[in-house]
Amino acid sequence: MPADRPATLAAWLRTRSDAQLAALLAARPDVARPAPSDVVALASRLAVPVSVDRALDDLDAATLQVLDVVLLAPTDGVPAEDVHAALPGLPADVVDAAVERLTVRALLWGEDVLHAPDQVRRAVRHPAGLGRRAVDLRVTLPADLPAAVGALDPAEREVLERLAGDRPVGHLPETGGPGASPARRLLQAGLLARIDALNVELPREIGLLLRGGLPYGPPRLRPEPAAVERDAAVVDRQAAGAALEVVGRVGELLAVLEEEPAGLLRSGGVAVRDRKRLAKALTVSEADAGWLLELAFAAGLLDVGGPHRDEWLPTRGYDLWREQPLPDRWGALAAGWLESTRLPSLVGSRDMAGKAVNALSPDLVRHTAPAIRRSALAALLDSPPGRGLAPDDLVALLRWRTPRRADRLAPVPDMLAEAGRIGVLVGGVLSSGGRGLLTRGEEGAADGMQGLLPEPVDHVLAQPDLTLVAPGPLVAELADTLAVVADVESSGGATVFRVSESSVRRALDAGWSATDLHDLFTRASRTPVPQALDYLVDDVARQHGRLRVGAIECYVRSDDHGLLSQVLGDRRTAAAELRRLAPGVLVSGLGADEVLTVLRQAGYAPAGESPGGAVLTRPPARPRAAGRRPGPPPSAAGRPLTEAEAEATVREIRAGDAALAARPATPVRQVPGVTTAGTLELLSRAIREGIPVWLGYVDAQGSGSQRVVQPVSLAGGFLQGWDERRHENRTFAVHRITSVALVDEEAPAAGNG
Amino acid sequence: MNDGPLIVQSDKTLLLEVDHPAARECRAAIAPFAELERSPEHVHTYRVTPLALWNARAAGHDAEQVVDALVRYSRYPVPHALLVDVADTMDRFGRLTLVNHPVHGLTLATTDRAVLEEIIRSKRVAPMLGARIDPDTVVVHPSERGRLKQALLKVGWPAEDLAGYVDGQAHPIELDQAGWHLRDYQQEAVEGFWAGGSGVVVLPCGAGKTLVGAAAMAQAKATTLILVTNTVSGRQWKRELIARTSLTEEEIGEYSGERKEIRPVTIATYQVMTTRRKGEYRHLDLFDAQDWGLIVYDEVHLLPAPIFRLTADLQSRRRLGLTATLVREDGREDDVFSLIGPKRYDAPWKDIESQGYIAPAECIEVRVGLDDEERMTYAVAEPEERYRIAATATSKLPVIRRVLDRHPDEQKLVIGAYLDQLDELGRALDAPVIQGSTTNKERERLFQAFRTGEIKTLVVSKVANFSIDLPEAAVAVQVSGTFGSRQEEAQRLGRVLRPKADGRQAHFYTVVSRDTLDAEYAAHRQRFLAEQGYAYTIVDAADLAGPGEVNGPDWVDEPAD
Repeated sequence: MPADRPATLAAWLRTRSDAQLAALLAARPDVARPAPSDVVALASRLAVPVSVDRALDDLDAATLQVLDVVLLAPTDGVPAEDVHAALPGLPADVVDAAVERLTVRALLWGEDVLHAPDQVRRAVRHPAGLGRRAVDLRVTLPADLPAAVGALDPAEREVLERLAGDRPVGHLPETGGPGASPARRLLQAGLLARIDALNVELPREIGLLLRGGLPYGPPRLRPEPAAVERDAAVVDRQAAGAALEVVGRVGELLAVLEEEPAGLLRSGGVAVRDRKRLAKALTVSEADAGWLLELAFAAGLLDVGGPHRDEWLPTRGYDLWREQPLPDRWGALAAGWLESTRLPSLVGSRDMAGKAVNALSPDLVRHTAPAIRRSALAALLDSPPGRGLAPDDLVALLRWRTPRRADRLAPVPDMLAEAGRIGVLVGGVLSSGGRGLLTRGEEGAADGMQGLLPEPVDHVLAQPDLTLVAPGPLVAELADTLAVVADVESSGGATVFRVSESSVRRALDAGWSATDLHDLFTRASRTPVPQALDYLVDDVARQHGRLRVGAIECYVRSDDHGLLSQVLGDRRTAAAELRRLAPGVLVSGLGADEVLTVLRQAGYAPAGESPGGAVLTRPPARPRAAGRRPGPPPSAAGRPLTEAEAEATVREIRAGDAALAARPATPVRQVPGVTTAGTLELLSRAIREGIPVWLGYVDAQGSGSQRVVQPVSLAGGFLQGWDERRHENRTFAVHRITSVALVDEEAPAAGNG
Repeated sequence: MNDGPLIVQSDKTLLLEVDHPAARECRAAIAPFAELERSPEHVHTYRVTPLALWNARAAGHDAEQVVDALVRYSRYPVPHALLVDVADTMDRFGRLTLVNHPVHGLTLATTDRAVLEEIIRSKRVAPMLGARIDPDTVVVHPSERGRLKQALLKVGWPAEDLAGYVDGQAHPIELDQAGWHLRDYQQEAVEGFWAGGSGVVVLPCGAGKTLVGAAAMAQAKATTLILVTNTVSGRQWKRELIARTSLTEEEIGEYSGERKEIRPVTIATYQVMTTRRKGEYRHLDLFDAQDWGLIVYDEVHLLPAPIFRLTADLQSRRRLGLTATLVREDGREDDVFSLIGPKRYDAPWKDIESQGYIAPAECIEVRVGLDDEERMTYAVAEPEERYRIAATATSKLPVIRRVLDRHPDEQKLVIGAYLDQLDELGRALDAPVIQGSTTNKERERLFQAFRTGEIKTLVVSKVANFSIDLPEAAVAVQVSGTFGSRQEEAQRLGRVLRPKADGRQAHFYTVVSRDTLDAEYAAHRQRFLAEQGYAYTIVDAADLAGPGEVNGPDWVDEPAD
C-alpha cells in the first residue's frame, strides 16, 4: 500500500531485516566502523561521498547499467518492472540479481519502486554515459533538435556520435587553421556545451536522440571469451623454462653487482649508465636489465648498502637465496614480484616532465599494484588447470567487472607479460607454480615448480677448445670457483665457461697456484682434462709474479755500497726504518722529509732528490691560491613574452575589470578561517536563487584572490560554479573561501555572517 | 623431466652432448635450422639465427617442426618466450613473394596486406617498388630484383623468390660417368639446388664440390660462368670438367689476369672481375658477354663485395654457390642469402668423413724454445716486428727437419708466410719453393711432380692456401702464418684433408716459438681447430723424437711399399 511505503532512505532501512542490514554492512564495511549510533546515523554514513564511490567502484557493468536506468528516470522512484522493460537486452535474472546487489548495498532503496539516494546521483557523473541536461549545462538547444542534428555535415555528426558513446565529455582540439573545427562549429550552434577551457560536454537530449532505441547503450552483458586451452604438462614445462631463465639471470645480475655495485642516484634508482653496463655484462637488452633489477629488488635480494649507503648491493638474503634449491629460489622471486608495490614495466618510460624513469626509482611505486596484480591473476584461478584467457580477453573481463576502475587496469597487460616472463603464466594459462603462488604464496609456488626444474650439477665437461660446459645449474660452491677461473660465455639451461689467459691470470692473482688449478680441473671435470688446458695454466703461471710491485714512501741511494751498509747498521738511523731493496738502494715507509732529518741528525750529509733524479737545492715555491676563473657575463636581455602569454594577461585584466564593476562599494572583509554555517547558508541561497556571489578565495598555492562566481552546486565540501573571471566552470574548496557576498547586495554579508 | 641430449641457452645457442645415445638423431633434427658453430670433442654448439630459420623455411620446414625438435630433445624446459620468438621469426619468411605476373611482369605479392603496407612505407624499400596493381600486389622493375631482396631482408621481411629464371643459351653438357659415379650426397645436393632454383650447397673441404658444380651444369645444359678464387683453382676446375663431363678443352675458356677467353663455359677469377682501372671495373661486361644459363660461385664465403653488387643484377639467372661454411668473417651472410639464395643442401659432415671421403687428421703443435740471442732480439723489437721475428726464428729449422724426418715416405708440404724464411727452408731442406712470383707454368710443373711423387717435399707460401688440389699431401708443416687467421688455418688444413688412396691418417704440424706472439696466435688457431673437432696435441721440441729413437712415437707411419 502506498501509504505504508517508506518515504526516506532511513525509513526504508528501518523496514529491512537484520540479515539484510548485516549484508549491507558486510558489503560496505566502511560504514560499519565505527558503529553508527542509529539508522539515521547509518543513513547519513551511507551518504558519505567516499563510501558511495567505493561501493560503486566494486560493481560490474551490468549492475551499473541497471542503476543508470533508475538514475535517468524523469521522476524519482522507478517500478522494478520498468527496469526490466528498459533493458530488453539483459536477461531477467541478471537484472534481478543487479537490483538485489544494489538494494543490499543501499545504493538503491525501496521494495517495488526503486529510489536512488542523492549522493548516488551525484557520484554517477555521467549515467549511462550521457551528459547533463541542456538546462544544467546552460545551453539552449534548437527548437527542432532532430532537424538540426540531421542537417549537420558528416564531420560534425561524427563528433556528436563519438560523444554519444561512453563518455559525453571530450577535449576541444587546438585550433589549427583559419577554418573552425567541427567541434567549434557545434559549440557555436549550441549543440555542445563548453565546461572549461579545454573540454566540452554533449547535452543529454542530443545523446538520447542519437542513441535512438537503446537509450542506455548496448546491454552490458558479461563477456564470455573463448578459453585458451593448453596441455597442463606442456604449460608447466614451458613455465619451468621461463623460471630457469629468470632465476639464472637474476643470479648473474647479482653476481655482477657483487663485483661492481651500481651507484645510487640522488633521486633514487639506478643510473642509465649502470643499467647499460649490466645489460652488456648479461647480454640482454637494457629494458630486460631494468626488469631484472626490479625483480631482484622486489624479492629482497638487492638493496641500498655500502659504507656510505650509496650503492646497490646484493643483500644478505641473496647469500641464503643462492644456497636454496631452484624451486625455492623461484618461489622467492615470484612471491616478491606478486607483492611488489612497484611497476617495473614503467622503467625507461617518460614522466610528466619528459624525463626517463630509472630502474629502482621511487617514482615507480604504486600502492595499488599488488591488488591489481592479484585480482588479474585470480580471475584466471577460476578456470581449471590447462585453461585460461588470452590477455586481451582477460582485460576485457576485468573491465566489465569494475568499469569504474578501468583506469587502474592500464598496467594489467604489462603485468601479464611479466607473469609470463617469470613463469607464472604461459600464454594466458596459469602454471602449477602460478596457482601455488596465488593460493599458498611463496611456499606454494616452490611446490608447484617442484620436480620441473633440474637438479644442480657438481661437474663440468672440459673441452679442448678451452671451454668448460656445465650441463645444468651448478652447485653454488663450484659456480663461485668457476666465476674466478673462467669467464661465462653463454648461459641458460647450461653454462659455458671459457678459460683464457686473462682468466687464469685472474685466478693466480686471487691466490690460486697452478697446482690448485690443475686439481680443480681434474676434480670438477667429468671428461679428461685436455692437454691444452694444462699447458695454458702452466704457460701463464710461468710468467706470473716475475715482476713485483710495492709501494714505499722514499728511498736512499748511493754508489758507495759501504756507506749504505754503514747507514743500515747505524743504531741512530733506526728511526728511519730503512731496509735494503737491492745493492745500492735502501727504502723506507717514512716520508723523505723524516728520513732526511733522521740522517742529518745522525751526522750524515744526505741530499734530497727530485722524482727525475736531480738534486733538490732550492726551497719549494711559496704557496699560492688558485685564482678564480672568470665566468660568462650575465645575460642582459630577459625572456621575451610569447603571444599566448600576452593574450592570457589581457584576458585576466579584462576579467578583473568586469569583476570590479560588479564589486560592492565596500571591499569584502577578509575573515580568515571562518566558514561557518552562515557562509554555507549564503552560498546555498545563492545557488537556489541563481545569484552570483562575490568570493574571496585562497588557492592551493596560498595566494588570495577575489572573484565573481555564479554558484551551481555545493556538495562534499566543494562549491562548483561559473567563474566570471576565467570564463569556465571551477570547483572551490569551501574551507579556502575567506569571504562571501551576494553581488546584488549593497553591503557585503561577509563570511562571518 | 626429459633426458635429452640438447640444452637450449638463453642466447639461442644449442649445446649438443655428443656422447648421448640420442645425439645423432637430435643432430639430424636441428641441423636444418641451426648452424654448427663449434664442434669440439664433447659438446657441440649450434646457433639459431634468423637466417638459419629462414633457410629452414626455404627448405620447406615449418615452425612447428623446429619447436617440436627443440622441445623433444631439450634436457631442460625451454622458455616459452624463446619458442614464440622462433615461430615469429620463421613466420616472417614467405609473407612476401616475388612472382611473375602474366600481365605486369615481375611483381611483389603478399599474403598479409599489413606487411605490404609496412614495406611500402619503408624508406629503404619504397624506391624500388613500382605501381600498385591491387591491394596485395606491387610491380617491381626486373633490374631491382636483387636489391629489393637485399633491402627486404634488412627490414626483416625476407621475400621468397618464385619469379623463375631465364634458360640462357643452350649448350650440351653431359656427365661422363665412366669409372666413377656421383656420390649419393652429391646427387642430393644437385637435386636440392635444382628444385630450389638458386642457392648455396654447403659441403666440407674435399667432399667433391667441383663435381656438384659439374652435375649442376649437366642439369642446366646451358652456357655457364664459373667464378673461382684464383687461377690455379680455375685450372683445376677446367681439368676436372674435362675429365668428368662431355666438355672438351675448346669449350672451356679461362678469364684471368693472363688470358681473356670467353667460351660456352668460362672460368673467371674473383680477382680479375674486381680489378679496377681509373676507379672503374673493367671486366664487368663479361657478365653480359654471353646469355649465361648458370653462374657458379666457388667458395661463396670469400665472395668479394663488388661481386655481390654485380650479382644483384643477375637475379634472373640461376646461381649456384659452393662453400664449406656459411660463416663469413665480414658478416655478410645476409647478402649471400638474398643474392645467391638460401641454403639448398647441407651435408652431414661426420657422415661424409665416416664414408671415407675426407682423411682424418691429427694436429700437433710443436713448441720451440728460442735461444738467448733470439729472445733478446725479440724482447727489444718494435711491436710490429715481433711476430715476424718469433715466427721466423732459426731455432725452428732443426725442429722442422726433425718433423719431416718422422715421415720419410709421405708427401710433405711446408707452409709459411715469410719469403726469406721460405727461401732459407728451401735451401736447407733441398726442396723447391713455390711463392707469389713463381710463374703459373712453373707452379703447374712442380705440382705435377709432387702429385706423381717425384718431389717429396714442397715449400709453399700462402699462394697455396686456396683450392690447390694436392690429394697425396699427407703431412703439412706450418711454420708461420698471417697473424692467426682462422680462415687460413682451415684452408691449410684442407690441403691435407683429401682422401688418401689407402685411407692413411693426415698430419698437420704447427711449429711455434714458445712464450712469444707466435704462440699466442697459435693459441687462436688451435682454438679454431679444437672447435672444428680436431684432436690436437702440444709437444715440446725436445720431446719430439725421430723414428726409432727412445721416446719415439709409436704412430710413425710405416713405409708404404
